[in-house]
Amino acid sequence: MSVNLGLAQVSGDFLIAAIVIYSLAVIGFAGDFAFGRPRRAAAATAAVASRERAAALATVGAAQAAGAAEAPSAPAPAPADAAPAETAEAGSGGAGAGGTGADGAVPVLPARQVPALRAVWEAGPWVRAAVAFSVLGVAAHLVAIVTRGFAVHRAPWGNMYEFVTALTCVAAIFFCYVMIRYRAWALGVFVMGAVVVALGLAETVIYTAAGPLVPALQSYWLSIHVTAMTLATGIFFVAAVLGVMYLVAERYRARVAAGKAQPDNGLLARIPSAAQLDKLTYRTVVFGFPVWTFGVIAGAIWADQAWGRYWGWDPVETWAFITWVLYAAYLHARATAGWRGRRAHYIQLLGFASLTFNILVVQVFITGMHSYAGVG
Amino acid sequence: MFRAKRRTVVTSAAVAAVLLAGALVVTLTQGSGQASGVTYVDGDNSQQVYAAGHRALAPDFTGTSLTGTPIRLASYRGKVVVLNFWGSWCGPCRAEGPTLAVLSQQYGSKGVSFLGDDVGDTNANALAFTHDVGISYPSVSDNSYSIVQDFSRVASVGYTPTTVVIDRTGHIAGLVIGTVSVQAMTTILNDVAAN
Amino acid sequence: MTDVHTPREQAAAKGEETSPFRITGTGPDESGTGAGTGQSGWLRWGWRQLTSMRTALVLLFLLALGSVPGSVLPQQGADPGAVQQYFASHPSLAPWLNHLGLFNVFAAPWFAAIYLLLFTSLVGCVVPRTFKLAGSARTPPPRAPRNLSRLPHSASYPSPLAPGAAVDAAAAMLGGQRFRLRRPASGDTGHWVSAEKGYLREVGNLLFHLALLGVLVSIALGGLFGYKADKLLVEGQGFSNTLGALDEFHPGRLVSGSDLAPFSLTLNRFSASYLTSGESRGQPSDFNASVSYSPSPGAPARTYNIRINDPLSVDSTKVYLIGHGYAPVFRVTDAHGNVAYSEATPFIPANTGTFLSDGVVKAPDASLGFMGVFVPTAVSVGGTLESAFPAADFPAVSLIGYSGNLGLNSGASQSVYQLNTAGMTKISGSPHLMLPGQTWALPGGRGAITFVGVKQWVSLAITYDPGQVPALVCGILALGGLLLSFLIRRRRVFVRAVPATSGGGSVVTVGGLARTDASGGFEEEFAELAAELAAGAGAAQPKPEPNNQSETGA
Repeated sequence: MSVNLGLAQVSGDFLIAAIVIYSLAVIGFAGDFAFGRPRRAAAATAAVASRERAAALATVGAAQAAGAAEAPSAPAPAPADAAPAETAEAGSGGAGAGGTGADGAVPVLPARQVPALRAVWEAGPWVRAAVAFSVLGVAAHLVAIVTRGFAVHRAPWGNMYEFVTALTCVAAIFFCYVMIRYRAWALGVFVMGAVVVALGLAETVIYTAAGPLVPALQSYWLSIHVTAMTLATGIFFVAAVLGVMYLVAERYRARVAAGKAQPDNGLLARIPSAAQLDKLTYRTVVFGFPVWTFGVIAGAIWADQAWGRYWGWDPVETWAFITWVLYAAYLHARATAGWRGRRAHYIQLLGFASLTFNILVVQVFITGMHSYAGVG
Repeated sequence: MFRAKRRTVVTSAAVAAVLLAGALVVTLTQGSGQASGVTYVDGDNSQQVYAAGHRALAPDFTGTSLTGTPIRLASYRGKVVVLNFWGSWCGPCRAEGPTLAVLSQQYGSKGVSFLGDDVGDTNANALAFTHDVGISYPSVSDNSYSIVQDFSRVASVGYTPTTVVIDRTGHIAGLVIGTVSVQAMTTILNDVAAN
Repeated sequence: MTDVHTPREQAAAKGEETSPFRITGTGPDESGTGAGTGQSGWLRWGWRQLTSMRTALVLLFLLALGSVPGSVLPQQGADPGAVQQYFASHPSLAPWLNHLGLFNVFAAPWFAAIYLLLFTSLVGCVVPRTFKLAGSARTPPPRAPRNLSRLPHSASYPSPLAPGAAVDAAAAMLGGQRFRLRRPASGDTGHWVSAEKGYLREVGNLLFHLALLGVLVSIALGGLFGYKADKLLVEGQGFSNTLGALDEFHPGRLVSGSDLAPFSLTLNRFSASYLTSGESRGQPSDFNASVSYSPSPGAPARTYNIRINDPLSVDSTKVYLIGHGYAPVFRVTDAHGNVAYSEATPFIPANTGTFLSDGVVKAPDASLGFMGVFVPTAVSVGGTLESAFPAADFPAVSLIGYSGNLGLNSGASQSVYQLNTAGMTKISGSPHLMLPGQTWALPGGRGAITFVGVKQWVSLAITYDPGQVPALVCGILALGGLLLSFLIRRRRVFVRAVPATSGGGSVVTVGGLARTDASGGFEEEFAELAAELAAGAGAAQPKPEPNNQSETGA
């Protein structure tokens, strides 16, 4: 079956449209960053204190907290309006209800979340526009990918251009989910910005025309293995952006604690706290790690079908292994005293660097059985 | 306390198992001493002679000679057979060709028949060689190594050239891996012919 | 994990993933568990260092770092030719790298040391934790702390029931959700219930780590009992799976020639199709090796089409299509006109896009040798012979002839793809271009060579790996364990009730904490749980208060 050039053209057009719409979303996020309601910042700081304690307890291993004798002093109960729906940036304020129960007639229950769409609406015009553009951009992006798939009569991730297109779509969709669930539109500038940059590079530097696959790739395992790797890469992409933001937020927090910076520095106070970002990054990596593991296993099964051995230390296989080990190290670091915080995030970013190296350098320049990039 | 001791034992056993598995992985992934890439051997002239009563039965085979006539191993029962596995592409086989030609002349009258098994070859190439070197005994055409496969179950016929000596009852009495020398063959043949 | 301890005591009780040992590198005296000095003390200290999380981290880094040279330097196992080239182009650096084992990283002893230490550390951690898990499965949850509002998640609600009954109602609800419960014993005061759930999380964690160990063992199995072999076959040719027939044979330690499955296989036809138009013209679209095979001598023959992603499976041995090329058929006659050589000669592709191929013809019985280039679709580019398309649409061959002693008769082994021209003289008229059917009559009456036609060859990989299926099973188990450990959280919920200060009934406080909450979600679970407990407490509806902003919004 030959390539449907008309559909391929449509795919390309929709991808350009997606880039434009994503850029508009980035502008919206930036606008919210700069001009969004200032009330959020103050409320965020107060709510953050109680949540930070919760996060700290949760990660340190609260078996210790069960010992009442050594429990840290109770937090000041967060002010009643500290958890208005729009500022619950990372879930409901579970610790916000710190009633001692003395006033027993009034049930004090943890706040349940405001429905997502309402939260978006109440976040202001910039956020509304940005979220709308993000969703629209994802739609256009999906159309681009699907039409490409129909144009070439196969799963549209058979070369590097298609792979980057697909993984950025995964990243965008995943981020939309994270953003809406955790009310994390402050992260939008960075994640969507990165998506736009990646797509721009895909369109210009590594563009490959639509075409059929070489026989080695003609297998249903393409749908399984490459799909899993695409998903995992998209998820780790988001985690990497969050990791960088964590490092920025953590540095800011340290400077504030040392008295070298003001606590309400406009821009930096608007992004979630370091503890929040740390938790969010962790959850993202936790989501992506099993997908990556599955992708490696699926790749091994396919390698056995195609090349006669399930693991041969092919350069791409080796770097996928290195990436896996580094993310495993991150997960271990987070449970090791002295390695949480900045160090753990360095490891996570190193893992993403090795992933990127694998895609952009190893697959293209180092000859091996994985050289299907289609580039050059 | 007893529990602690049992735990130590189990943990130590588990660790020992890991180390063992790992050691195995390390040593064996290096591959064994058997060489790869070369299926014919030069210089490795190992010989084996089997005493009567310890000889495996040579598997019978039927085939066509290089010139198209039918050959059957069983028809050689009652004679000693020197079966030489060779190919015209194989350097050591070519080197031993003249030796085999001479030996076949010498022992032909003494009830010893020489037979070739031509592997991985075309009849034209093989015939060019036998004419060139003066080999007049027939060779069975075995391009796909199927006779080799049958023999490899009972004797180490894995390299080219290999020469197998079969006694009058059809059992494998001796084996030479690599190029044959007049000396080695005469020793084996005298030994076998005597029995 | 049995009772409520101070953090210090718990930290001293070792094995906790969150509190690695305080020992920072000093001797065994500071161990904190009262181990003595002397040999056993040092052994204990060393063992604790090895099984600590910090060491695991360091080893993971080393594992990742150690793999890097294995991917950027050419490796002996994958591409020995590239290793040779590297030696040639880096004559001073290469021997040093070789001493360090960098050309065979994954079989190097130092790499093995890293993963062996890592797995030892893993086992040293996992086995005690398995015991601990077994222990904690038997021990009940800890007693409820006094002040539940100090927990990360807490709530309170009024109940019309007496404290004991209120706690009973809560306990019934929690029990219905499969929490393990602990009620006050005779010596305990107050009305409370402790509930715990999520033991499967640790099961998943342990399963994951043990499954990794299983993968290592499976690899060892394959390495011991498995083998890999290569065979090149021309169309029409067959082979029997025996040591002598194989071009390359890489056996595991315990494998001998007689362990090979006794099948035989013939290549009937190989067909390759390529795209003939469009931007990707020349790109292959399909490869198909049509074979007949017989699983054992004398068994009836069957047919199969071996494709790149579709190997043949015979008797748990697999045959894969790895590569292909062209084998032009030549006939060489000697000075007397006798046929000295007649065979399809495999040529090796030098360009995998256009299949321009190099090869050698050796006719020692005519004292002639030829080396040359074959092109499937001949085209002249500035006087040089090139190939324009990978299919054999317009085949041609260009040969350089040599006459003399090929060196084969002396007995030395030679590669069938290389001609040793020392001791030979070049035949004038070389290079000579031929189309199919043409004959080159060599000057000086030395003989002639005819380019008869073109066949194709395939290279097959024959592999047997008994560790393959176990490795897959362990991989899937590892994935399952991973998912379990991420999705399930070990959590505890405590409920206390005290009599209300005014009016009848009681005030119930609920507290909850999740020990490790990788995927998040305990906040929501606790909120749901608290609401359910409050709703089930009786007629009293929770008053709309700050905590009920969910309905009104800000």
